[in-house]
Amino acid sequence: MTATLPGPSRRALLQGALAVMAVPHARAGQPPARVAIIDWALLETALAIGLQPVGATELMQYRVNVIEPDLPAAITDIGLRGSLNFELLSALHPDLIVSSNFYEQQRGLLSRIAPVQTFNVYEPGRPPYPRAVEATSWLADLVQHDEAARRYIGETEREFADCRAALERRRIERAIVINLGDPRHFRAFGPDSMFGDVIGRLGVANAWPQASQYAAAAPVGLHKLVEIDDAYIIVVGPSPVGAARARSSNAIWNALPAVREGRVITLGAINHFGALPAARRFARELAHVLPDCCT
Amino acid sequence: MTVRESGPARRSIWIWGALFLVAGAISGVEMVEQLRRASAGDAFAEILLKFSTLPRAAVALAAGAALGLSGAILQRVLRNPLAEPATLGISAGAQLALTAATIFAPAMLEYGREGVAFAGGIVAVSIVMLLTWRRGLEPVSLLLAGMMVSLVASSFSAALVLANGEYLYSIFIWGGGALAQQNWAPALSILVALILASAIALLLVRPLSILGLDDANARSLGVAPHVMRLGILAVAVGLATTVVAEVGIIGFVGLAGPALAGLSGARTLKQRLIAAPLIGAIVLWLADGVVVLAGGAAGERIPTGAATALFGAPLLLWLLFRLRLFEQPSFAERAASRRASRPWATVAGIAAFALSLLCFTLFLGRSPTGGWAWASGAAFHDLLPWRAPRVLIAAAAGAMLGGAGALVQRMTGNPMASPEMLGASSGAGAGLAVILLLSATPSPALQFFGLIIGALVALFVMIAVVSRGDFGPERLLLAGIAIGAVATAITTAVIATGTPQAFELLRWLGGSTHSATARDATIAISLAVMLLAPLAVCGRWLDVVSLGPVAAASLGLAMNRLRLLLVLLVGLLSATASVYIGPLSFAGLIAPHLARMFGLGPSGPYLYGSIAFGALVLVSADWLARVATFPYQLPVSLMASIIGGPFLVYLLSRGGRHNG
Repeated sequence: MTATLPGPSRRALLQGALAVMAVPHARAGQPPARVAIIDWALLETALAIGLQPVGATELMQYRVNVIEPDLPAAITDIGLRGSLNFELLSALHPDLIVSSNFYEQQRGLLSRIAPVQTFNVYEPGRPPYPRAVEATSWLADLVQHDEAARRYIGETEREFADCRAALERRRIERAIVINLGDPRHFRAFGPDSMFGDVIGRLGVANAWPQASQYAAAAPVGLHKLVEIDDAYIIVVGPSPVGAARARSSNAIWNALPAVREGRVITLGAINHFGALPAARRFARELAHVLPDCCT
Repeated sequence: MTVRESGPARRSIWIWGALFLVAGAISGVEMVEQLRRASAGDAFAEILLKFSTLPRAAVALAAGAALGLSGAILQRVLRNPLAEPATLGISAGAQLALTAATIFAPAMLEYGREGVAFAGGIVAVSIVMLLTWRRGLEPVSLLLAGMMVSLVASSFSAALVLANGEYLYSIFIWGGGALAQQNWAPALSILVALILASAIALLLVRPLSILGLDDANARSLGVAPHVMRLGILAVAVGLATTVVAEVGIIGFVGLAGPALAGLSGARTLKQRLIAAPLIGAIVLWLADGVVVLAGGAAGERIPTGAATALFGAPLLLWLLFRLRLFEQPSFAERAASRRASRPWATVAGIAAFALSLLCFTLFLGRSPTGGWAWASGAAFHDLLPWRAPRVLIAAAAGAMLGGAGALVQRMTGNPMASPEMLGASSGAGAGLAVILLLSATPSPALQFFGLIIGALVALFVMIAVVSRGDFGPERLLLAGIAIGAVATAITTAVIATGTPQAFELLRWLGGSTHSATARDATIAISLAVMLLAPLAVCGRWLDVVSLGPVAAASLGLAMNRLRLLLVLLVGLLSATASVYIGPLSFAGLIAPHLARMFGLGPSGPYLYGSIAFGALVLVSADWLARVATFPYQLPVSLMASIIGGPFLVYLLSRGGRHNG
């Protein structure tokens, strides 16, 4: 039993959905008016191209960890990404649900509510930035906001150029991007992560050339930062509660050559698994902080 | 209960000395390497040695000693060889306090971390003692109460994290403490607490020994037993909560220290108070060294706190069977003082109420705007396919647990026994953990298979162990708890790794009704009907069982065979329920109490009443899980623990009139 959808008959819609899924760039008539988005990277992308989704996940944490683009006032929180509120999602009567490979398990249940379109920004072994750009075009095509997407991609390229120039002025050639999990461990972003990929495109060599080390419990010991030689450390938020005080009393952190020589750049909270907006925020924050940081 | 001694003390000292050297050697490998690099001019290696490796060894020794001493004191004061901070709920209570402070008042943590943890630990142990006060702090009941309080506290912690919208970090609640250090502050903090506590304990050795006598003699010898007990208990709690505040929950060291001290020949209290911390220190240092070694250059796979549980649970199992168990006079429940005049009518009434509550939860919910909404007409048709399966599954699982709980409580005569205590549902979790280790993304069918096999293995091990005796209730419970502990240690170790498989396990642990389909519901209900059917004939047997073995035999009942069948039935019921709502649930514990509260004495109505109440409890929990922190849904069994725990405390503390 599914909700009766307004507009075309159910069969027509299903056929249309199948057609759209098979040929990603085909148009299926009227753009979907009510879109629900499960994946945060795609949520960012949607907001960036001017789409106003009716529902998205974990909005409380979004406002703390992702921050931009801003959420519209009328958006409904549809629950935790790990345990979606299907009842609520169904009550919103979406025309389209946008998801990714992370939520493959929920696909069956989601497709009972509305057609599901997925796009995978993060796939093992593939750099995510080009995929994020493709995601922007793909989503724009789905909801017919192509002009906004083109504009956004162009703006991103310009911000990247600014950041590249700032980095050159500072003569920063190598850097490692990390996120502090607890006083003794960090998460490292390799070329298969958004930050690692972007830092490469900004003309800086990634001092962590292997795969990202990312887990709920930060896996890499702080002492590994000794091995980066003269690279800069870029610390991406969010940081754990009390991190600022902990850093000052952290003998290991303070003994690191990079910290002693002032080669640490601290940024605010950015989505670790984001899309184009996260990449742009990263570049912008970096360019903003660089002139005043470090000796 | 006493522990059988083994071997002369002198030989034990040699063994422990050797183990100390082994632990030192394991840690020493890294220290020597860093020393070598430091003297070759590597400044960072020197920093690592001074501020990471050495403090880590110091913390391992200090925390191990603190936990060992805490355990020794608790065991003496509570006269319970199985008491320790983790089993009495002290560690979980401290962790809850810290979690709450992290979310609501982070400023408190900057300056008063140990104080916050202490408050949590004291409240937890007070509740445990309150629950078992009327039973004279009887050891098995104390253990059960401690486990229950632990469970409720952990559930509350997880719920707080989830309600805050952080699905990812709820995993840490179920993990274990880690010993990695970056300065000397935690080591010094624990050391100070340890020195203070040791001084107090050694000063009070004589009064403590006198506390081993009963209260009247103690008073006549000049010791105020209650004040002394509470005072020294506070010291033990303070020691344990300081460790939790600095490094997190470390299980079983508090049990291993005193237990191994006793086995190594420490007989007098003073000897135990000295030996237990020393042995605890060696045990934790050894465990930490092994964890670091096993982790290798990539970093530790599981935190030390989870690893000690993994090593310690078999120890608990082994200990239980070296204990000479005196079959306590069965705390057979005194008949409910208020008896329903028409029990079957009462049962019918309860069933009708449960059914109407079920319908009620289908209609009432929260609306997308956050307010309340009574679904009707088209809205109801839309919501029904989402709400009905989960409500029906909750009802089916609750019914199974209610039935199992009634059987277990009547069989063991212990009002704190619950079906999970037989270890089958924890065994299911261990089975699932193993399947997840072997295959990264197992299909639901494979997961189901893992759950069932795990449950069956746990059941068979328990039956094998207990059948050497006579299936006496106490032995049954202790064996179940021990096997449950081993299985839970395996599950916790896998969860602590934080991999995607860990989240799958975490999802099962909390109970996942939210993604239920109609097919799941049909299977659940069929299973419930199938497994509850045998209860129809159990009523008469249970009545005879409660008359005692002699009377039962004279009436033609083979007691052992009967108990075996009942254990199997309870195990299957609780394992099947755990497939849907995870292993942690209060329905099996509360439902029988509610049945008794309504005056259902004879076994037939008692069983059916319990089944109805079980369904009622879980349906309510499911509804609350849906609406309490809308739109973030809490796992069902978490909710059941949160509402069930305090309610049970209330029921049992009123206890005297209704049952033991």
